[in-house]
Amino acid sequence: MIIKLLKQPQAIIGFLFITSLLIFSFYWPSMLDVDKTEALKLQDFLYDDDGRIIDAPPYSPSQVPPLGSDMFGKHIFYQVIDGAKYTILIALGIALFRILFSVGITLINPKSSFSFLNDIVQATLYLPTAILAYIFMNSLIMKQSMEPMSTIKLIVLQCLILIGVGVPPLISTFSREIKTILNKDYITNTFALGSKKVYVYYKHVLPELSTKLVLLFAQQVVQTLILMAHLGVLAIFIGGSAIVVLGDIFAPMPVAIPLAGEWAGIIGMNFAKIKAAPWAILTPLTFFALLIFALNLIIQGIQNCLETHKS
Amino acid sequence: MNFSLRSYLKRLRSIILGILIIGILPALLFGTNTQVEQNVWEYSIRNLKYPLFPDVFEKYQYSMTIFFAALFTGLTAALILTFFTTLLPRFLQRVVYGLLTFLESLPDLFIVVVLQFTVIYIYQSTGVLVANISNVYNNPIYLLPILTLSILPTIQLFKIALLLMKDEQHKPYVTVGRAMGLSRFYITIVHVFRNILTSLVQYYKTIFVFMLSNLFIVEYVFNLNGIMNVLLNTKGVAFMVSALMIAIPFSLLFEIAETNTIKVNKQEEEEAA
Repeated sequence: MIIKLLKQPQAIIGFLFITSLLIFSFYWPSMLDVDKTEALKLQDFLYDDDGRIIDAPPYSPSQVPPLGSDMFGKHIFYQVIDGAKYTILIALGIALFRILFSVGITLINPKSSFSFLNDIVQATLYLPTAILAYIFMNSLIMKQSMEPMSTIKLIVLQCLILIGVGVPPLISTFSREIKTILNKDYITNTFALGSKKVYVYYKHVLPELSTKLVLLFAQQVVQTLILMAHLGVLAIFIGGSAIVVLGDIFAPMPVAIPLAGEWAGIIGMNFAKIKAAPWAILTPLTFFALLIFALNLIIQGIQNCLETHKS
Repeated sequence: MNFSLRSYLKRLRSIILGILIIGILPALLFGTNTQVEQNVWEYSIRNLKYPLFPDVFEKYQYSMTIFFAALFTGLTAALILTFFTTLLPRFLQRVVYGLLTFLESLPDLFIVVVLQFTVIYIYQSTGVLVANISNVYNNPIYLLPILTLSILPTIQLFKIALLLMKDEQHKPYVTVGRAMGLSRFYITIVHVFRNILTSLVQYYKTIFVFMLSNLFIVEYVFNLNGIMNVLLNTKGVAFMVSALMIAIPFSLLFEIAETNTIKVNKQEEEEAA
């Protein structure tokens, strides 16, 4: 299958885009020859050559090339590049665990129909995933505000929520798939010849599922990215947030600042000031769109592979 | 039109159970709320309390107006676009298809934000306010939310319809029609379109679920007072009630559509046999 995938130019382009973004994100300080702490520092005011203050943040792209700054004077471009690795890795990890958990749970007892999970799946059809995740995240944050917990624990719990939200629909998909495979003649024969369950699953069921698994994995990554963007707008940040008070003494304006640098956090942080600094939101959103497009190219490539495989 | 009440009730039961589970789970997992809700029929947005009834009906109506207007706009736009694309030469059709794949991967958030800025930009540069970009007080806006919500379904339906059209154009009855001397234009409008519409119904679930998720983002960004905003800010009983208000009518729609598509499929199988 991998060899066939190499013949799909679109899949290769998508894959190259994502890997280069990742590599660039890890090594940008040395590649662009800038100091990382210098590039990501807070910049209070903009000075001209004589040392006079000419402007306060947010700066437009023409004042601070290449893509302007947010309302704290941080460069949006460097933030986005630095955040790429977190965003991509979180999305990949969550999608991977969603698939692993749902396959595992289905394989424990593939014949059962999981009526209790089926109820949840039926209900979640009508509730947007973002709202579903928000309900859980909100109670988690409330709990955290009452009894503080370590950042690591918070991140783990948040990731578990993001994973859990996607698992029930996947389980119902997998149990349907596995049931059709188990009903095939050669599987029945293998059982009749006395092979163990574990052997059959490992040797026959999983290989038959594998291409479908890769496709579902890519789709799950896209869904996770969209979910993260939505949660960012709702000011739920992975890794928690700190409250900073902006504005003057008469109109204090508390703003939540994400502690991790992923893109959804950048969107959420700047969402309140959307009209003052549109570039601060449009840049991460454009990168989201590009990333999802690259993933869609890969999905298209896999689907083409599957079709040629069938015929 | 056939519809069995029994299977609908069964579906309804599992939906109600599911919503109950989802409503209770957060409190179970992360500890119960120490502040007991003063009144279960109230919800609060930014520390202001609102009663759930009877306001929720008004909000519900508003949301559904936007939803179905957007669905209708999207469907019409997709069909018109499909029609014009089929008249294009083959290589241009490929270009359109590639473009659609790109447009499809734009996140809904991106489209909402970009449209909002376009309207602001037009207003700033020409002084013409195309449409209000946000809900202010009790002044519901319609044009921009409907437009925004309809863009992504249009793209999806357009893509599906194009694919169906490609399949349909190689079927024998089109060839027969051509041989009879009917024009391509006539065949497309009278025969092919009718068949495509019945096939399009099969994608109702994807489109509806997708649009409900989009409706939420549209309501949040445009600050509309709709059912999704209520759903986001409620907890406990009020949440379950508002979730059921969405789930019950939509599940009825799904049930009707499902039984009828199964019927269509059976008919096709019988014809094929």
